Amino acid sequence: MRVLVIDPDPARAALVAEGLEGVQPLEVRRAATFDEREAAAFAPDVVVIAADSPDRDTLESLREAGQHNPRAVVMFVDRSEPGLAEQAVRAGVAAYVVDGLAPARVRSILDVAMSRFALTQQLRGDLAKAKADLESRKTVERAKGLLMKERGLDEDGAYRLLRKLAMDRGKPIGQVAADLLAFAGVLKGDAS
Amino acid sequence: MSGLADLTLGFIPLTDCAPLVVAKARGFFAEEGLEVALSREASWATIRDKVLVGALDGAHMLAPMALAAGLNDPRSAMLAPLALNQNGSAITVSTRLAAQLRQIDPEGMAEPLITAASLAKLVEQRRAQDAPILTFAMVFPQSMHNYALRYWLAQAGIDPDRDVRLVVTPPPRMVEHLRLGEIDGFCVGAPWNAVAVDEGLGEVLIKASQLWPGGPDKVFGVTAGWAERHGDELRAALRALIRAAAWADEPGNHAELVALLSRPDHVGVEAEVVARALKSEIVFHRDAAGLPRREHALWFLSQMVRWGQVRAELDLDQVADAVYRPDLFREAALSLGPIVDPAMVFADAAPAGGGLFDGASFDPAKASSYAAAFPIGRMRP
Repeated sequence: MRVLVIDPDPARAALVAEGLEGVQPLEVRRAATFDEREAAAFAPDVVVIAADSPDRDTLESLREAGQHNPRAVVMFVDRSEPGLAEQAVRAGVAAYVVDGLAPARVRSILDVAMSRFALTQQLRGDLAKAKADLESRKTVERAKGLLMKERGLDEDGAYRLLRKLAMDRGKPIGQVAADLLAFAGVLKGDAS
Repeated sequence: MSGLADLTLGFIPLTDCAPLVVAKARGFFAEEGLEVALSREASWATIRDKVLVGALDGAHMLAPMALAAGLNDPRSAMLAPLALNQNGSAITVSTRLAAQLRQIDPEGMAEPLITAASLAKLVEQRRAQDAPILTFAMVFPQSMHNYALRYWLAQAGIDPDRDVRLVVTPPPRMVEHLRLGEIDGFCVGAPWNAVAVDEGLGEVLIKASQLWPGGPDKVFGVTAGWAERHGDELRAALRALIRAAAWADEPGNHAELVALLSRPDHVGVEAEVVARALKSEIVFHRDAAGLPRREHALWFLSQMVRWGQVRAELDLDQVADAVYRPDLFREAALSLGPIVDPAMVFADAAPAGGGLFDGASFDPAKASSYAAAFPIGRMRP
């Protein structure tokens, strides 16, 4: 069975393809955009496409014209397995399936695609959070330095003061540190 | 502000998403007690699916897409309680194709209204020379753009399924595909025709306002089930959207509207180009543009029958009345008071008049026989 993965996000596409390769026997190919000629040559049984790919509408039209006769899985599984189509849409995955393919096989492919989409989102979230944490730590260090210099505090005292300010204001310590640095900048006259 | 509800509404980056963008940015949704998040989507199919599963509460939608949604499964039925715009789209061809057309038919191309007669001559000549057939793009099988392009071609005797090749291309990629020579022309909404002209790649042959003055285009679509469960929220959203449409029509607001639309999170096209496309013709509110007219629904359905997208035996009146809901529009519009002229709210008591560019009359009471009478069509029994 041949599966074509269309996803403008190359990292996510790679994850999906890697996940699908664990489902035997599958031949998986991936592309950032849908090319009708390439797709016709490959003749996929299933096209898994990211919901945020604009190529979805082109696939819809092929379905309409019956050229490759792929049917939207959204319609296809809805009757046999309530909830699956909704899950897929919410996960950001759409699939087009050649007529007559067993629903169980479609389901296993969709399951892999959905879990890999969720994984991508989680990894991206973790990365963004790690970056923000790092940034916040740097900001806190600089604010501490400022307080030590301006208020003559030791490192521990500067940190305690920052923590108290954060608790009094109900804000994260990184935010309080950033505010402090911004105000210090203004007072020094380098407002921008 | 006591929040009535949080809504997520979808849109596609096109000028006719303006009522949604304006209602949000100008605070019209908020004044109705709605906390609205706008979600920019990449395709019409995704808009449809997300609305169907409830990931979106409502969306900017192709009118025929709303009509077609419930045909195979009544659980997917949608409503169109508001039309978002009239006009705005156009048929554009590559500058190369325009030059060839001018060469083969200088008189036809000099007419104020350009039919596909010139193109028919070129298609004939290319066939005699064994040249490959021309490719035209539109945005979705169930769209005004598909039906308008097909109507215009077939009116001059060009069979859109045999004499040319029709493909679906997402609006933001139209101009690039024209540049690459993958397509020879397209029918798409604003601002993409203006973008093609601006870049020296395309020439507009006919605008929607010439093809069908006052003709329909996009709607605001929700599922029938959602409308039933959220009557108050729907009315509130419609009130905000109607106010936004009226605001968007005011020439005094155009500079601000252009700035809003050109933002990268909205349409993301240069302000000048958005401005030109806006000035040329798109209507959001006046001339009862917001009223979802039954005759428009029936015309769309007649074209679905004509091109074999639905069976000819389909009860067109029943579908039109179930999906197009002028009553919901009226209820919301009348509750707004002086913003809306009451005469406009009942404008559909009389036929819209005008009609398509070829002068052929369309009687909504005879939509099925109208569909059957075209010499070129793909009717299925």
